[in-house]
Amino acid sequence: MKRFALALLLAPLVAHAQYPDRPIKLIVPWAAGGDTDVIYRTFAPLMQKHVGGTIVVANVGGASGTKGAKEAKDSPPDGYTIFAVHDSIHSTYYTGVADVNYHDFEPLCLVSATPSIITASPKTPWSDMKALLADAKARPGQITVGATLGSTSHFFPAMVEKAAAIKFKYVSYEGTAPRMNALLGGHIELAESNLTQKGKADAGQLKFLAIASAARHPEVPAVPTLKELGISVEYAVNRGLIAPKGTPAAALGKLRSACGAAAKDPSFAEAMKKHGTIVNYLDERGYAAFLKDNDAQNKDVARDLGLLKR
Amino acid sequence: MYELLFAGLANVVQVKYLLPLALGTLVGVVGGALPGVTITMTIIVVLPFTFGLDPLQGLAAMTGVYVGGSAGGLVTAVLLGIPGTPSAIATTFDGHPMARNGEPGRALWIGIWASFFGGLLGGIFLIGATGPLARIALEFGPWEFFSLFVLALSMVAGLVEASLLKGLLSGMLGLIVTVMGVDPVLGRERLTLGIPFLAGGVEFLPVLIGVFAFAQIMTEVERMGGAAPLADAIDRAASLAVSHLKVIWEIVSRPLILLWVAFVGVLPAIGGSAASMMAYDQAKKFSRHPERFGTGTPEGIIASEASNNANVGGSLVTIMAFGIPGDAVTAVMLGALTIHGIQSGPLFISQNTQLAYGMFAAYLLAHPIMVLILALGSRWMLRVTTVPKAALFPVVLVLCVVGAYALNNTMTNVYVLLVFGLLGYAMVKTGFPLAPFILGVILGDQIELNLVRSIMTDANPWLFITRPISGGLLFASVASVAFALWQHRRQQAKLSASEGDADF
Repeated sequence: MKRFALALLLAPLVAHAQYPDRPIKLIVPWAAGGDTDVIYRTFAPLMQKHVGGTIVVANVGGASGTKGAKEAKDSPPDGYTIFAVHDSIHSTYYTGVADVNYHDFEPLCLVSATPSIITASPKTPWSDMKALLADAKARPGQITVGATLGSTSHFFPAMVEKAAAIKFKYVSYEGTAPRMNALLGGHIELAESNLTQKGKADAGQLKFLAIASAARHPEVPAVPTLKELGISVEYAVNRGLIAPKGTPAAALGKLRSACGAAAKDPSFAEAMKKHGTIVNYLDERGYAAFLKDNDAQNKDVARDLGLLKR
Repeated sequence: MYELLFAGLANVVQVKYLLPLALGTLVGVVGGALPGVTITMTIIVVLPFTFGLDPLQGLAAMTGVYVGGSAGGLVTAVLLGIPGTPSAIATTFDGHPMARNGEPGRALWIGIWASFFGGLLGGIFLIGATGPLARIALEFGPWEFFSLFVLALSMVAGLVEASLLKGLLSGMLGLIVTVMGVDPVLGRERLTLGIPFLAGGVEFLPVLIGVFAFAQIMTEVERMGGAAPLADAIDRAASLAVSHLKVIWEIVSRPLILLWVAFVGVLPAIGGSAASMMAYDQAKKFSRHPERFGTGTPEGIIASEASNNANVGGSLVTIMAFGIPGDAVTAVMLGALTIHGIQSGPLFISQNTQLAYGMFAAYLLAHPIMVLILALGSRWMLRVTTVPKAALFPVVLVLCVVGAYALNNTMTNVYVLLVFGLLGYAMVKTGFPLAPFILGVILGDQIELNLVRSIMTDANPWLFITRPISGGLLFASVASVAFALWQHRRQQAKLSASEGDADF
């Protein structure tokens, strides 16, 4: 009873002083049901526990994830809009797909890393990566790869192309789910995927040819790394949270600590395991440095690939 | 398959699914019974309330609304002679005369039980065909999808009662709307005129809400001047009591008609109103006593009601197997699936088996619930129709706006709703059909994407014709336009046909 009275007394004070006093919008720039969406739909409830307010996931998909990025950039920097970013923000900037750049945001924290896997349609004849490489050498520019153009699923195979001195043909399939459908139907031959597709690989509906991590992954020990095969490419899709530039420091502080607490929650790591994702938390300082490095790297890749537009 | 279905049924009978299903069915029946409130509108109003539910709860509620709405329209159609929804228009032809001839109970219950059986037959199709069709759909490459969407558009443009030219123009307008904003492949801005508001393009649900809900409410508001006192139109003293066994026998003793109209109903992508009209027409043609149609013959009621409920099953197949909505109602259902994080399309049933069968189970269960609701409340339902529209429409409108806002929690969608509400109203005024427009908006991006994909995969344009499925689909779309032209000629020759209501 006493506590109740105290709460009543404090309530008006708290209501005025506290951020957040209304729901925070987390913009996911991809369709519902995709990898990013799944990760943040798990993350948001954990984070809102620590931030002390509701976090609403808003899916703003389209145009290689840049539609949502534009909307996030143009949102008022009041702490009520945060953005679920991944590496595509760098690649789409340098390939000229969008004008939004990581500089337009304040880093909150890095959340996770998902290593990429070269995945083939079951209708292809290749039994392993070596067979694919041999075929690619024999038929340059003919093997079809489904990709979100200018984004990670385009950059990763393009890096492999360069490292292995082969040439692919790219077809626009935005988002993991449509790419996997097209692989299943044999409408494209290759695509980037990750361990979320393990079920289909086990069922023989997809073929995992090689993983782009430093070492073999315990979930799929039979899949070789690209490095083992002499292709020196390491690649993962890194996901973090950022807020529009100019967000008040108080809000940033609260969001950052909530992000950290949620990322360290053991239940999050457990849930991410099912999605082939590693929790890779960095605080805002570490994340800022990471973004800077990653940006430079993406610029290099874009230049190497002849995709650099600025 | 049966184990999965039983598991689905066992799952859905849990209170946490049964309650949203029953509530959805109730709202659907009421919305369906209210003249001027379409099933589409009812689903739009219910949608935001399902955001907080888990996917199956939300889908159960939406399925309930759909099934309930398809049946609810018959109450007002039979007892007042006013179709509660456009899909019940054909029900008024015989249902109302029978009611006026002193058998309102018989007319009502023939309609309800025909809905029940028609719906269940549609359900058999839904459960049996979704899986195999999904496997076929997986074989569809970008060429086939492109041609399929073209077929869908030309069929809908051809089916509308207005002129074919207006239908095609309307579909084209819809396609142009989808071109606005950034292109789906590389994110180049198009038709944005440098206005940031347009740069984001428009989402189809606010467009759909604007065009269907807002434009139609405006039309209804216009009609309000001469508001007829609905409730006085029927004899309240008349008894609705009836021997159910006798009524059911009346239906099942005509198995061929029932099967045939259910078959017409499940034909994908024709929509409830077209299905019931077509089925009515068919039943009349096959009848030994076509002259009795229009005077209160049970066949007429059975044809209309069995087919419009069977259509629900057929429409759900196309969205579950292909991810293509056949009409406005299924377009909203598709939007609902997306909002609940489900990618409908060829992989839906294999990846979300539990959810898919949960939805089948919800569909089946919605039918007895619908019968129960109508048994308890058909008389009371008439009371609802006396709610003044001046009170009803503002509420519906507010709920529509809330729904548009809640989709993405952005005001942009509310503005989009307003703009397209006005556009839709202008289209209604100038006699442009809305269905092809909205289908154009829904399919535009997919048509473009698949066209780009086909060309990126192989630069040879003849593949659209030389790939057998794609070529067949394109041929079918040419044929459907030709058929529509031919039919139009014939109709104009007759010219006696009365003007139908707008096809919502």
